Amino acid sequence: MKNKLAALLLVFLTVLLTGCGGAGSGAAGVADPAAPDLSGPSAAQESAADPDAPVVDGLIYASTMKLDYAECFDVYFYEGGYAVVEIDGSRGYLVVPEGAEVPAGAEGRFLVLRRPLDRIYLAATSAMCLFDALDGLSGIRFSGTRADGWYIESAVRAMEEGDILYAGKYNAPDYELILSGDCDLAVESTMILHSPKVQEKLEELGVPVWVDLSSREPEPLGRTEWIKAYAVLLGKEAQAEEVFAGQKRYAEELAGVVNTEKTVAFFYVNSGGAIVTKKSADYIPKMIEMAGGRYVFSDLGDSETASSSVTMDMETFYAAARDADYLIYNASIDEPLDSVDGLLFKNELFADFKAVREGNVWCTTKYLYQASSVNGEIVYDIHLMLTSGDGAAVEPTFLYKLY
Amino acid sequence: MDAECKTAAWMTDRLRTRSRYLLILLLLIAAFFAIAVVNVYSGSVQIAPEEVFGILSRQVGEEEARYRIVWQIRLPRILLSALLGGALALSGFLLQTFFRNPIAGPYVLGISSGAKMTVALVMIYFLERFHEVSSSVLILAALLGSLLVTGFILLLSRRLRQMPVLLIAGIMVGYICTAVTDFIVTFADDSDIVNLHNWSLGSFSGADWDNVHTAFWIVTAAFLLTFLLSKPIGAFQMGEAYAQSVGVNIRLLRVAVILLSSILTASVTAFAGPISFVGTAVPFLIKRVLHTARPIVLIPTLFLGGAVFCMLCDLIARTAFSPAELNVSTVTAVFGAPIVILIMLKKQREY
Repeated sequence: MKNKLAALLLVFLTVLLTGCGGAGSGAAGVADPAAPDLSGPSAAQESAADPDAPVVDGLIYASTMKLDYAECFDVYFYEGGYAVVEIDGSRGYLVVPEGAEVPAGAEGRFLVLRRPLDRIYLAATSAMCLFDALDGLSGIRFSGTRADGWYIESAVRAMEEGDILYAGKYNAPDYELILSGDCDLAVESTMILHSPKVQEKLEELGVPVWVDLSSREPEPLGRTEWIKAYAVLLGKEAQAEEVFAGQKRYAEELAGVVNTEKTVAFFYVNSGGAIVTKKSADYIPKMIEMAGGRYVFSDLGDSETASSSVTMDMETFYAAARDADYLIYNASIDEPLDSVDGLLFKNELFADFKAVREGNVWCTTKYLYQASSVNGEIVYDIHLMLTSGDGAAVEPTFLYKLY
Repeated sequence: MDAECKTAAWMTDRLRTRSRYLLILLLLIAAFFAIAVVNVYSGSVQIAPEEVFGILSRQVGEEEARYRIVWQIRLPRILLSALLGGALALSGFLLQTFFRNPIAGPYVLGISSGAKMTVALVMIYFLERFHEVSSSVLILAALLGSLLVTGFILLLSRRLRQMPVLLIAGIMVGYICTAVTDFIVTFADDSDIVNLHNWSLGSFSGADWDNVHTAFWIVTAAFLLTFLLSKPIGAFQMGEAYAQSVGVNIRLLRVAVILLSSILTASVTAFAGPISFVGTAVPFLIKRVLHTARPIVLIPTLFLGGAVFCMLCDLIARTAFSPAELNVSTVTAVFGAPIVILIMLKKQREY
């Protein structure tokens, strides 16, 4: 009996190990087709003007897109209207103009995107405003957010009129709808990196996945500058330059302004009663600094990690932010507040805060997080909040005052 | 004359019992094929039945969307849910036998908590350091976590002879793993927390043929081994003393049972995330329907029962609110628990 059982277990473990090995080699051993291979006989010769530009057989390098703030993507242009968009230096997308041939050998090295891209599945909410600013909503066919989840009017309208269809969230897309709708690109946020199975399934179905890393941009205008990457997909580079220049002007206007030294806390109260605030290296504290304020936490959180928030107890927050000149309640996850009483209802200790006593409590609108195309304007609104006394000059688009 | 009557009655009774087993098995087989057919036909994209037949017999071009929907989306998903559903039911049966406790299920021993812990660790570490993680890495992490907990339980079982005590120890291991996960999550990004939560609710979405192949080999091997152990398990059910008296090596059988159930649970968790309820409820339901606990009858029937139950739940999960998809555990619990309660109430009334 003992020997029989031992033999059975041995057989089973052998089968198990064989099975696991099969899965591992099948799934993990495949090279990433999107990783650009910069090696090649003519690399140095053809990309002399920009050593970082990938060499694409059959294409002649023309120029590199000038980026002012964005760090997470690069765009290289080639003669004939071709472009290579590199995201995070590892994923490469070859954008092929309408009617043009795909260069030989490009399919294995890049994710090939053939223009016109007009059946996009957009699961990265922050990218919708960039498409909108480019008048490019017609390129989007599927959305990962329902109509009532959008705060961008034209997106809501497009969904209500059936021009954009809801096709499931980023982590559970409706593969059938996406496949039957000839989806030509899935635009995903960094959340997709937590659901690799979904990304792999989309790619297995022939839908290239574009990972929007704008949330990792350290500069607020770096996020806005992603409009230039989307412009390459839509062939609207000039329009993108114009939109971006408009936002850049706000930053330039504020560049010479002396900091007001007014301190600002940006936070929300989670369901457990803890305070969730931003790390000092996040883009919101940077916006506050650009606007002429000082973020109340000068060195909060590890800037090396991807996380942008810190959860702390009320005691710690009280000690740090009690004397802050302004409180901004972050309503991106929590519901927006109607009044200061709403804040006091969450914790009576807020009554002790200087900002509450002096009537300097503000709340963000839900639109704030879908408005990365206008980060310059948001910075300017924060500046108005800090400098216009009663705050009456601030349009309640992104921020509104609580009474 | 009396003896003849008794023999005849026994024969009739036996025939009736066997007929019931056969009938239930046939009904489950019929249900399996019926639900499989409904699954193949159902989805957010309407495909006419005659078209589906053409697609399955490969009369439609491989490049056509309809062909790929059936072959690359629906079929692997159906087969994976069937395999893993069967695996969960089998795993639950083994644990209930091992602990002599009908509420013991694949997750009572903390196996899924172990898997969740390692998935959390790996997901957060990889995303922080490399900014990406592949599904095969997460599968291996879940498998590793499950097996680590199993190894620990096996070590404990050498010292803890009493089953209730070992069961409590398993629950404690689960708590420890959950506490470690919560600790990690405290310092994690919101996106990690959201995605870990989604993963922990289980889903067959994204199933592919590689998953099906690997799961097939693991689950089939475990099923066959369990089936071959039917006799010793049957003897074990009669009591340890009886099992020992008929030559069963109890210690080795315990190791085999717990290892097999853990491997089955681990593979489910690895490929679909933790799926609750099936492992506890299906063996209970099948035993009630069959009126027997004989392993040789139960093992194939409850495997099929688990497969049918999971396929049905997955069908509901993906079609009820299409294009939004429910998590499988939501459906298995919401639709399964009332059935179990109803059956228990009915039985109570009968008594």
